[in-house]
Amino acid sequence: MEYPNNHKAIVQDLMRGKFILSSEKEFDTIKTNEVFYRNFFSESFGMDFHLSSEYACLVSSQTHETLSRTICIFFAILCYELDKDGKNFMDCLQYNEFEMEEIDTYFENTSYIDLVRATRQLEDAEKRRMLIDTMRRRNIVERTGNDRFVFTPAYKVFTGFAMDLSRRQTNGKEHMVAES
Amino acid sequence: MQHNEPVSILRFFTHHFDAVKDLYDYQIANQSIPHHVFLDVIDRHKSDVGQRFFDYKILRLSGEEYVFRKEFFDLLQYLYQTFRPVLPETIDKYNQVFGDLFRQIIQGLSLDRDILEARIMEIMSQAGECISHVERNTFRLLTESRELKANAEKMDYRSKLQKATFWIDYYIVPLNRILDVNNPSSVAFTLSEISEFANRYRLNFADEGIRRQFEKLYVFLMEVHNNLIKHSRTLTNELLPLIERIRTESAILSGWIHFLKNPFRMETPTMIKEQTYQVYASDMYYQTKEFFEQFETSDEMIIEDDEQDVEKWIYHKNMYRDKLLSQLPIENFFEWAATEINAEFGITQTDKLFTLAGLLFEENLQIEFTGKTSTIETSQASYTVPNVKIESYGISQ
Repeated sequence: MEYPNNHKAIVQDLMRGKFILSSEKEFDTIKTNEVFYRNFFSESFGMDFHLSSEYACLVSSQTHETLSRTICIFFAILCYELDKDGKNFMDCLQYNEFEMEEIDTYFENTSYIDLVRATRQLEDAEKRRMLIDTMRRRNIVERTGNDRFVFTPAYKVFTGFAMDLSRRQTNGKEHMVAES
Repeated sequence: MQHNEPVSILRFFTHHFDAVKDLYDYQIANQSIPHHVFLDVIDRHKSDVGQRFFDYKILRLSGEEYVFRKEFFDLLQYLYQTFRPVLPETIDKYNQVFGDLFRQIIQGLSLDRDILEARIMEIMSQAGECISHVERNTFRLLTESRELKANAEKMDYRSKLQKATFWIDYYIVPLNRILDVNNPSSVAFTLSEISEFANRYRLNFADEGIRRQFEKLYVFLMEVHNNLIKHSRTLTNELLPLIERIRTESAILSGWIHFLKNPFRMETPTMIKEQTYQVYASDMYYQTKEFFEQFETSDEMIIEDDEQDVEKWIYHKNMYRDKLLSQLPIENFFEWAATEINAEFGITQTDKLFTLAGLLFEENLQIEFTGKTSTIETSQASYTVPNVKIESYGISQ
């Protein structure tokens, strides 16, 4: 059987929880072989394969809930603070380059400081750098310098989640995690 | 009611414009002007000409309060550009008007020329009103959207989202439909049909006067058509993206703020755990080969049990219980247990010591903790244990 080009790299990246972006060469292969990959990941690993016009990723019941929650808190506070600062947060996420110092200023002065302190991966500057590095490994951010980065289109997974939450709230269908 | 020269009315309007403006502002905010407010305004501007507002038909009575007459109200709206957007349904009504007039013109082409001329002029007049409503709406919607973007009213995100959705659903999208020249039920489409008709008859009609009217109608409708296209473009290219963006931004922020209220109880997006195993390990072929080869062995195998016999200790609970009861009272239970094990096996083993400790849970043993501790040495370790005193067995008398 012939496998698509870059098959090994595609499988390895997606299995590591990376988003494959439309700017990467593997993305063209994925797009051409969408049905194959959908079946491949479903049959081999029981995972759902998600493909949008900007990225591809895997969705599974075996989730890294803590990381996902931390990243959601990160984006929620960042968007809120950028808006409060009079900036167009959607443009910022899409086009701006961020400096870690700028991120630190937002997170140290936010009115959500208690939540920042209570979230281990956000509590101080060093932990936040580690979180950005984790996000880099997953292709959610791209480093542009020592202490600088830009967001990749994968951030839309999280802003989409916020929009969905707003819609569910309007429709009165919130999904809460059951209390243990 | 006396007849007034237009110039007198305009002069009055100009001289007392401050009072007019105050009354207009009040009506914009409160729909109508109560008598005492009217008197206050007139008094504040030291004007003794209150009655002239009625002589010149600037104000009229509405119930027990006053309102500006429509003509003056429209003029002031125009001067201050403070139009309230008209519901698209109102603009859409013109489609019916144009349709009816157009039908009547077609049917009456060979009939009375005067009524034909009047109908042509009426179409122009109605088209003028219609384009005026469209212009005002576009202007007002742009102002509203920009104010919403700047959040001049300091609205929360949810209210902003609701307002943006309101403008889109009830004004912008329906207005865009009305201005869509490709939609056969739109005002723009009907006007373009009339324009084509006028174009045909401006060159081909027996009566020269009517030909001139068709010519005027054609030129006017071309202008209206261009205006409608211009407004449609403003709606599609500027207004809709702007307000859609406000809606998206507000929805995202509203969602985040809701999330931040209870971030540890909300379901979050699924992110798969990083898989630690290598699906495509470089030595996968050999590993797989080795795995399958183990099942290919067909030789008979005999597995010998090389386990050495170990003397198994069977815990006779009743025996130790009887021993314990026969020696009551016991000052230090663990010391007693260690001595018993040592006497029986020549060595104090930890597991046996703790097995015997189970006797302490026997019912009806009168146990007392002295609060002191002692050290018990077993073959494996040294234990600090509490001094447990057993007084008697059974319910004390």
